[in-house]
Amino acid sequence: MITKQLVEQIEGEASVYFDIKNEKVDFATVTFPHFRGMESILETKPALDALVITPRVCGICGHAHLMATVRALEDAYKNSGYEVQLTQKAKLIREFTLVMEMIQNHLKWLYLVIIPELNKLLHYDGQKSTLKGAYGASLASKAIALFGGQWPHSSYMIPGGITSDPTHIEVMQAHHHLQELKSFFEKESLGTTLETFLSFESCKDFHALDSDIATLEKHLIEADMHQKGFAHDRFLILGEHTFSERTKLKHTRSFGVDIKFVTTKPSFSPYEKSFAYNALYKNDYYETGPLARMMSSGLPIIKNMHRRFKDSAYSRVLARVFELSFMLQHATKLLDKIDVAEDSVVSLVDIKKVWATGIGVVEAPRGPLIHKVTIEDGIIKNYTIITPTQFNIGSDTKEKPTSVQHAMQRLTKEDALFVFRTFDVCSVCTTH
Amino acid sequence: MHSKHATKPKLLWLQGVTCNGNTHSFLNLSYLPTLLEKFDVLYYPAMEAQYSFEEIVRCELSCDVLVFEGTYDPLMVRGDVPLKKILLHYAKSAKTIIAAGSCASFGGMFKASAPERNSGILFDLEEKKGPLVALEEKVINLSGCPIHPEWIGYTLSMIAHKKEILLDDLHRPLELYATLAHHGCTRNEYFEWKVDAKGFGLKEGCLFYEQGCRAPMTHASCNKILWNEVSSKTRIGTPCFGCTEADFPRQNLFSTKTNMSIPQETPLGVPKRSYLTMAGIAKTFHIERLEGKLIDYKTTR
Repeated sequence: MITKQLVEQIEGEASVYFDIKNEKVDFATVTFPHFRGMESILETKPALDALVITPRVCGICGHAHLMATVRALEDAYKNSGYEVQLTQKAKLIREFTLVMEMIQNHLKWLYLVIIPELNKLLHYDGQKSTLKGAYGASLASKAIALFGGQWPHSSYMIPGGITSDPTHIEVMQAHHHLQELKSFFEKESLGTTLETFLSFESCKDFHALDSDIATLEKHLIEADMHQKGFAHDRFLILGEHTFSERTKLKHTRSFGVDIKFVTTKPSFSPYEKSFAYNALYKNDYYETGPLARMMSSGLPIIKNMHRRFKDSAYSRVLARVFELSFMLQHATKLLDKIDVAEDSVVSLVDIKKVWATGIGVVEAPRGPLIHKVTIEDGIIKNYTIITPTQFNIGSDTKEKPTSVQHAMQRLTKEDALFVFRTFDVCSVCTTH
Repeated sequence: MHSKHATKPKLLWLQGVTCNGNTHSFLNLSYLPTLLEKFDVLYYPAMEAQYSFEEIVRCELSCDVLVFEGTYDPLMVRGDVPLKKILLHYAKSAKTIIAAGSCASFGGMFKASAPERNSGILFDLEEKKGPLVALEEKVINLSGCPIHPEWIGYTLSMIAHKKEILLDDLHRPLELYATLAHHGCTRNEYFEWKVDAKGFGLKEGCLFYEQGCRAPMTHASCNKILWNEVSSKTRIGTPCFGCTEADFPRQNLFSTKTNMSIPQETPLGVPKRSYLTMAGIAKTFHIERLEGKLIDYKTTR
């Protein structure tokens, strides 16, 4: 029998259609029912207006969209014969604000989604800690706003660099907010220092802690999430950053990748109209996002976790907590390297001289975000967007399950719905 | 499911066609926990509240404050129930209806998704043609893309304290929208003496003359009540895009249309001829202090 479940309090909403046999999910399909037509809104617009429009694809990762747009426009410059050489300062500040957006995303996901949902699954009526996530995220947003003017929906990255020209005042203020956020996270979430946490070598190390994260780990085991929610054990990272390199992993083996092998196809949604397209790499489904990035990071704890529990829901959830910790340290290093004396922008020819197609790829909180733009005479002729949730939360047939479909199979409906959320679903991005 | 705090106003946050930007902007409010204490939150899109969305769309509950985020699409269906039905049901019982952000206020970014039918809840651009025209006296527009956390913080606090909120013709609170985004801009001196920014990525210069800044024509308090408590677009060298006005998003957002190097549109309410005369005079001044770099890190060592 097919039962429909509306999933909300993700970014937007989705419907999951479960085919339940003997009280377990035999198969499930996913529908994203809402559509906004962002790509067609972009067509015919002046090229630089994309820097204002695309952040509005998503309220939680709009900054990643901004960076994908600016990279796509700069790639178009390059393909027109005008290579853009950013200053180190512009690169570092862009990277810093991107990382801070990822941190706010993960904090919200942890406290607003995962902890309450896991409590619900285990029928625990635990103390509500949702606003911890909002507080931590607001500190991260402050640090972004110092360079980007505001968060959400900043448009401070422009072809050639950034619009801001900070002094040491802003850099020091950013250090302060970041330090406050780190102390908050160490005290309120980890129950230990970031250094200690990131030097964990075994999942048993959690037992020494008494904190939100220790409780989360305990509850994941209690819910058997270390034995549930397995995807295909294939991972994909496409964005190049100070914290990531392009690669794909099959189990633990790493291979080279090329963006040209990414394709999309309409999702399989037999019971309701879906506006989503699945994203594939060489015709296969891969998992993207924090678990993928952490798998390629070489962190000992992640290796240990993967050896014991593979790409289970347990690994997926905790990889995010480790990525959050890793990014908090990484952000400090980025800030430290900023030289305010450097230029913010390099001058470029008028964009009207750029007749080309450009591709921008960014690691967004949930994985690779790809923007492709064609411009002629300063006007957008064509714009396509592929978002991370299209990789993770595709919907295909039973013969070719996507990462999330595979992960939900053979679970109870309640477990499957929790596993669904471990991927951190962004519906608004998916059906941009 | 009876509320434990029946005396508090019941708040419901509903969404139309949206990016969730207003939901996330609100979470940045520094006094969020104390503000939420004053309300009984029935539903919020990004965190657990009293009811699930499925319970909300049954339209059996009532609320005192309805916050609506996103463009209104009359054909939209949410949780198998037409959005129109859900909106009208809760709007009827609500004492105050807040349009959170420019999409809900005027149509905004996602009016373009279906321009022939999408609108704000009261206004379609500047015309009162939305679904809540009959209830217009209850509607407060908090335009902005996204909503400024302090602006919704202010509005909800005023409601909790039972204070009257004065509105402008577009139903925006005067205390937030009577001034222009230009007020409090740190580049004001450059505006005063008509010194253009020589490009992006600079501390110096006004962005009104070439970079498309619409702060002198835009009702907002972004430079008075700072974003994320620390900054604003113009402070970090990004032009104001006029996102609180009914015509957002306009086009060519990073450049100013000029006539003989003077912006085609003059600051709000300033007669064009007088402005041209004054700007012409100011441009003849050479104020060395405003022409060079404020700080030259490379030579001052």
